[in-house]
Amino acid sequence: MTTTASVVAFDQVSKAYGTVRAVDGLTLALRPGETVALLGPNGAGKSTTLDLLLGLKRPDSGTVRLFGTSPRDAIVAGRVGAMLQSGGLMDEVTVAELVRLACDLHPKPYRPSEVLVRAGVAQIADRKVDKLSGGQAQRVRFALATAGDSDLIVLDEPTTGMDVTTRQAFWATMREQAGQGRTVLFATHYLEEADAVADRVLVLHRGRLLADGTAAEIKAKAGARRVSFDIADAIDEPALRALPFLTGIDISGRTVRIQSSDADATVHALYGLGVYPRNLEVAGLGLEQAFVAITSAEEAKSR
Amino acid sequence: MNTLIRLELTRALRNRKFLFFSVIYPSVLFLLIAGNADSGTKVPGTGLTVPTYMMVSMASFGALTAVLMGNSERIAKEREGGWVRQLRLTTLPGRGYVLAKTASAAVVSLPSIVIVFAVAAAVKDVRLDAWQWLALTGAIWAGSFVFAALGVAIGYLASGDAVRPITMITYFGLSMLGGLWMPTTSFPGWLQDIAKWLPTHAYAALGRAIEQSRAPHVQDLAVLVVSFVLFAGGAAWLYRKDTLKA
Repeated sequence: MTTTASVVAFDQVSKAYGTVRAVDGLTLALRPGETVALLGPNGAGKSTTLDLLLGLKRPDSGTVRLFGTSPRDAIVAGRVGAMLQSGGLMDEVTVAELVRLACDLHPKPYRPSEVLVRAGVAQIADRKVDKLSGGQAQRVRFALATAGDSDLIVLDEPTTGMDVTTRQAFWATMREQAGQGRTVLFATHYLEEADAVADRVLVLHRGRLLADGTAAEIKAKAGARRVSFDIADAIDEPALRALPFLTGIDISGRTVRIQSSDADATVHALYGLGVYPRNLEVAGLGLEQAFVAITSAEEAKSR
Repeated sequence: MNTLIRLELTRALRNRKFLFFSVIYPSVLFLLIAGNADSGTKVPGTGLTVPTYMMVSMASFGALTAVLMGNSERIAKEREGGWVRQLRLTTLPGRGYVLAKTASAAVVSLPSIVIVFAVAAAVKDVRLDAWQWLALTGAIWAGSFVFAALGVAIGYLASGDAVRPITMITYFGLSMLGGLWMPTTSFPGWLQDIAKWLPTHAYAALGRAIEQSRAPHVQDLAVLVVSFVLFAGGAAWLYRKDTLKA
């Protein structure tokens, strides 16, 4: 529901390109101070969603509101800082000049020198923008997105082209931004990033919201704990298959691997069968596997 | 907005190739064409000496180069590269980008006009009244906005590999057929009939009218005004289309 307290509110938003529905009846609300990951494979509609959010594209139907106003009004009020994957930079000017421009255009600007340091581009401030590496250009884009005191920061696949060290430094900066009470929304297909950084994960698939929750909840939703063990005696397969909360089972030889949405209950029931499982292991699924499980379940349903 | 204009300017002034072609090249071309003509020879039917005649042609050509070449390719490239999208995420109004581009091109076109005048006066003894120098500078400079609008329109019309050939054809076509390189009186009759409807022809004719101390032809003024309306209108329409699509 659209409330004034929402930072971002999508209400039944759809956008199609020809016959392809890039965004299909999307309804969502972001609350102040959240760090939200928009997760989905390529072609899931992430970029279109962000374009709609920022007013770069207009929805075919439905409404998009930022802070209770239109995206453009929110941008003009200086409440939004954004970094696009497709966002280009101006050639033949230096990083410092470009950052100064961004500060100058922001209604609540920070000092350019501060912005350069925070984005980790102070040491390349005098470099020409067209001479930057991919990772450096990403950090310059980040500097442009954080040139002023915005309430919402939107980042489309921000760490593309960054190496591991830079990536970690980037997320540290990002957490600092979120720590100051800002709302951060970032699109990613690096699943471990969503898991490590976000308070809330939105799983987007074929333009629809597939799941919305904490990373832990998303994993749980996919039946996301794995129980594996060996059985020395004969295996009573039907009994195993009837275990509670079981969402998948794989038996090979004496080894049994189970996916469970409530591993505690499943293991408890396993002992109740009177079997003696050896080498019992209970482990969480990575978000990646959870994600694959959710999307393939959805695909199976739509078939 | 002002920062963007300043930045566009800084960048234009840093680009040596662009500066050479828009600021130095018209003067060089002027010397090549008018260099051998002695200062007494008149261009038939104008009452103007060859250097005086060519001075206006080359000043117009220089201004045309600065505003047309600078804008069209840059805009097409920055549209594709996503810089235009990035700017739409700032408080800069949509028109701001186009205005900044046009303003910075206009600033670069001014020296190219003045340098041709200085070279013509110093080397080829072109002498005009003070009001004529001022009026010429003003008219050629103001007229260049017609072609700045055309540059913006091409920048939004074409993309990728197409933009350079389109710009080049437009640029050379307008310069040559409009009589900026050689008087249109040397053209065959049918070509002269076409040439006199070109905005570049009207543009140089405006300057020549000032040199001849007479009022410009109504037709030339009308061609310039209509061209400006067409180009600016086209640019605005293409810009809006691009914004909806981006």
